[in-house]
Amino acid sequence: MERAIRVEGLTKCFGGFTAVRDVSFSVQSGEIFGILGPNGAGKTTTLEIVEGLLKPTHGQVNVLGLDIARDSAQVKARIGVQLQSSAYYDYLNLREILALIGSFYPKRISPDMLLEQVGLQDKATHRVRQLSGGQQQRFTVAASLVNDPELVILDEPTTGLDPQARRNIWNLIREINQRNVTVVLTTHYMEEAESLCHRLAIMDRGKVVATDSPQNLISNLKSTYTVSLMSLDPLTEDQLLSLNGAVSSVQIQENNTYVIRLSDIPQALDSVLEGIVHNGIRLEHLEVVPVTLEDVFLELTGSELRD
Amino acid sequence: MLALTVANLKMMARNRHTTLWSLIFPLMLVVVFGLFSNFGGSNPSMAVIDRASTPQSQALGKQLSSISFLRLDPNQQIDAVQSQIESGTLDYLLVIPEGFGAGGQTTPTLTYSSNNSERNQLVAGAISNVIVSSTIAESQADDTSLTALVSTEITVQKVSFFDIALLGLVGLGIMTSSIISVAVKISTYRGQSILKRMLVTPLAIWKYFAAEIASHLLLALVQAAIILAVGVFIFGAQIHGNLAWIFMIVLLGSMVFLNLGFILSAWANTPSAASGMGNVIAMPMLFFAGAFFSTTSLPWILPYVAQALPLTPMLTALREVAIYDAPLWQIWPQLAALGGWIAVTAVVAIKVFRFS
Repeated sequence: MERAIRVEGLTKCFGGFTAVRDVSFSVQSGEIFGILGPNGAGKTTTLEIVEGLLKPTHGQVNVLGLDIARDSAQVKARIGVQLQSSAYYDYLNLREILALIGSFYPKRISPDMLLEQVGLQDKATHRVRQLSGGQQQRFTVAASLVNDPELVILDEPTTGLDPQARRNIWNLIREINQRNVTVVLTTHYMEEAESLCHRLAIMDRGKVVATDSPQNLISNLKSTYTVSLMSLDPLTEDQLLSLNGAVSSVQIQENNTYVIRLSDIPQALDSVLEGIVHNGIRLEHLEVVPVTLEDVFLELTGSELRD
Repeated sequence: MLALTVANLKMMARNRHTTLWSLIFPLMLVVVFGLFSNFGGSNPSMAVIDRASTPQSQALGKQLSSISFLRLDPNQQIDAVQSQIESGTLDYLLVIPEGFGAGGQTTPTLTYSSNNSERNQLVAGAISNVIVSSTIAESQADDTSLTALVSTEITVQKVSFFDIALLGLVGLGIMTSSIISVAVKISTYRGQSILKRMLVTPLAIWKYFAAEIASHLLLALVQAAIILAVGVFIFGAQIHGNLAWIFMIVLLGSMVFLNLGFILSAWANTPSAASGMGNVIAMPMLFFAGAFFSTTSLPWILPYVAQALPLTPMLTALREVAIYDAPLWQIWPQLAALGGWIAVTAVVAIKVFRFS
């Protein structure tokens, strides 16, 4: 399959601070590729280099077969970009903004068609600030499509939206992708990465720690279930050690809450539940859930992903 | 680029608040200055040079001081006084010649500029009456056929303080709106990542700036035209020079101030900081460049500082052309100074400008 983006050995330093450290990944044509990571992981910096906004300190970036350092104008003409929290002119209406941005490109789609694609056709003469948060976000997606791009880069397209608006954006992104447009997006929502992306790069502290499909990332995990329990009294060291063997990690939280990640041996769940009963652990709450990307992230980075 | 320029103009038109207020401020001053110079003017001043130094001439001097609407200046050198009349700082000069009142045929001379003919007639008549009554009283002669007063008129270009101030107001309007509106606009756009949004498109950066500058220059022309029109048609200001050149000077000055606006926008982190910085630069410059008051009497090095400011050559050039109908070659030093300022500020603006 042809590669839409190839990033090799990318490093970006701002003064003494290294925001992105030796990052490599590639995006296949036609897929929805997600970059997942907490704030400050280097997602936006990586994208801004791919978009031609920043120059890399080291490394090679190819977009649509072109070297971004050499042919940035050509690349910019063929990709669509939605920036994180970019506003638009206050005194132009939606149709006028799309027409204006379109005028910068050799190839363009009519504003009314774009507005129809994102379901804002009856807002054409409204100003951006008259739209709801979800509508604004759909509008910025429309603005990234003005030049009928082969590749769309969306930086946190759903951050700050309510669940319904978030789902609307997911559907919109799937529609765009079905028209054979490659989509790259960043997110710090696990659920979004899991349900929307064909493949993921997980970033933490400027590094890519894993790249694979969400399913593979989860099934490669050593554990299968997570047991979350809240006990009436703090567990003793003996009680904790008795669970050993079936457990890959235990995380102690406030209020006598323990998050126990099970190892992938066949009877792990049975033996942990038995252990709880035999050791006389008095429970207030117990929850058993299959592992998710959250656990993948925890295992890969040793820390939890927070919004 | 044209699309962006048109969009910019459209936004300015819709952003009526900012655009209007930036116009209303200088217009309001036009009204204030217009009202003061048309209705609030002070009494005309007169210098008396007494060459006779006879009891009669001294008596005449005393009687002249009784004319309530004349302010008498103490005696001065005649050539200094003459140039004061030409420049308008002194209104009348009365010379009492040697031998006045000694029975000879000596007649005092009144000199004034051609600036205010109705007032000249009134003043000449009043002084002539005083002379006649005093000579009759002194000499008991009744030879009233003798001319009591000779008038000399110095023809000057009719210039009022308001004419000069009006051009200062054009400078004020262009400077404040160029510096402050660009600084505020660019820092707003940067805060909202609109500049960054432009950068991810294939639009060449120079086209972005060209469109911003073009739309602001057009706004500056409209602004200058409105200020001049209000001054001329409502308050009777006089413009003698070529309008096309006046607008050309407005454009050159505007470019300097737009560049300054771009430079400020790089330092200002918020739109309100940009606005404050713009005022800090614009307001002192307004007074030091002599927009309303002469700067030659300033102390210390300040007159030289005044000469170095970009508003100074703009105002000098505007006044030379508008008031004295100076041809372009006569104001080349000012045009060159503006050109230099444009070049220097452009280089600095390009160096310090930041998109994010």
